[in-house]
Amino acid sequence: MSGSMTTGPERWLAPILLALALAACGTKQVMVQSEFPSPVMNKLPLTIGVWYDDEFANHEFFDEASGRAESSWLVNTGQAQVELWDTLLKGMFRKVVYMNGKPGPGQMNPVVDAVLLPEVDELQYAIPAHTNVKVYEIWMRYRLQLVTTGGEPIADWTMPAYGKTPTAFMQSDEGAVRLAAIVALRDAGAHFASSFTRVPAVAQWLDSLPRAGEPARQGAQP
Amino acid sequence: MNLRGLAIGACLLPWLAGCVNSTVDQMVFNTPGAEGIGDASVVILGRRHASDYETEPDFIRCVGNHVSSRDESISVIGELEFLNALYPWFEPRTAPLRPADLERLLEHDDVARTFANLQTQYMIWIDGSTVRNDSAGSMTCGIGPGGAGCFGFGTWSNDANYEATIWDFSNRAEVGRISTTASGQSYMPAVVVPIPIIAPVQGTACDSIGDQLLEFLSPNYPETP
Repeated sequence: MSGSMTTGPERWLAPILLALALAACGTKQVMVQSEFPSPVMNKLPLTIGVWYDDEFANHEFFDEASGRAESSWLVNTGQAQVELWDTLLKGMFRKVVYMNGKPGPGQMNPVVDAVLLPEVDELQYAIPAHTNVKVYEIWMRYRLQLVTTGGEPIADWTMPAYGKTPTAFMQSDEGAVRLAAIVALRDAGAHFASSFTRVPAVAQWLDSLPRAGEPARQGAQP
Repeated sequence: MNLRGLAIGACLLPWLAGCVNSTVDQMVFNTPGAEGIGDASVVILGRRHASDYETEPDFIRCVGNHVSSRDESISVIGELEFLNALYPWFEPRTAPLRPADLERLLEHDDVARTFANLQTQYMIWIDGSTVRNDSAGSMTCGIGPGGAGCFGFGTWSNDANYEATIWDFSNRAEVGRISTTASGQSYMPAVVVPIPIIAPVQGTACDSIGDQLLEFLSPNYPETP
């Protein structure tokens, strides 16, 4: 049977199936975008500075396929990271100020009580093809530094965040990984909001502030 | 004539469904009584603490829709709306595990204010999932210039297991537990066209748990003839 004798649907169906088969071997790209709710809590009476370096603001994770049957993954979380931390900090602190540059000696920055420097230290993902469990997972570890405007360290700690989503209601691997990443980001916000004042070095610093009284400490620990 | 028969059959295929067995257990105290819950609202939330499964958001939506569609006087707050309104206190990491934990949450003014605005009377936690087991059979599909088709037979079973825990928000107490299990076998024979005969296991579990919640929450349920 010649190609000219094929009917309409068969003409376009075969190329589409071929394209889908080839696409399965390419890089799966996930752009994580979401809006995050503002935390419901009494604001800490602090003016906090924040500095997102380029690596954080454009954070992406790339995992190269280990075999021909697998796909490479590129997960961009930078935009969502900035969206989350902007919303979170504005809900947690009396005032949030963006720094002109990374705090350090000689760097001109607005005067604030402290500057938070968030960093994604590590990101891992798991999909059902890896684990045989019908759950998509994203695990992140943040490194958080609280410094003075001069760059002197106040606190330096790590914070894990985890998100998972079942396969049942998702259409694609990319969609499920995107949703798992959003859940992980929400978890990061929940973890930070509920534990910030309990980080020992932060608690010690808050106690050392003349205006850091009990009401402020209780605000983040309902 | 044959083509017409096939077309009619194809239209009817989606309506074929497998059989489902369902069991419901319930234990409730302090029901709202004949006056119902009035202007108060109910929120239905999924438990998401387990590492190997997650209560499906669409199941929570299904139960909420089941309750609100059968008794329109019951206001059911959407899960995501509630989680966003009280972020971050009902995320998997921070969600209260016991009614007494609510007391600690309400010490916070903004949280208490939000609860008051939402008028939440009952908080219903649903924990469980639907899993697929015992898949068997095989199916081969092919496509060529002359057409496409499948041949084979597949079968699998689905098991649903959910437990709903009802918290009375005003008394900070647990006032009931409802559990449901459902299982069913689905089939997919294929001779050119795959014919799915799906057992609506999750839907049956949703209806079962929704009906029991209605009996608890609604003075008009079960409907009397």
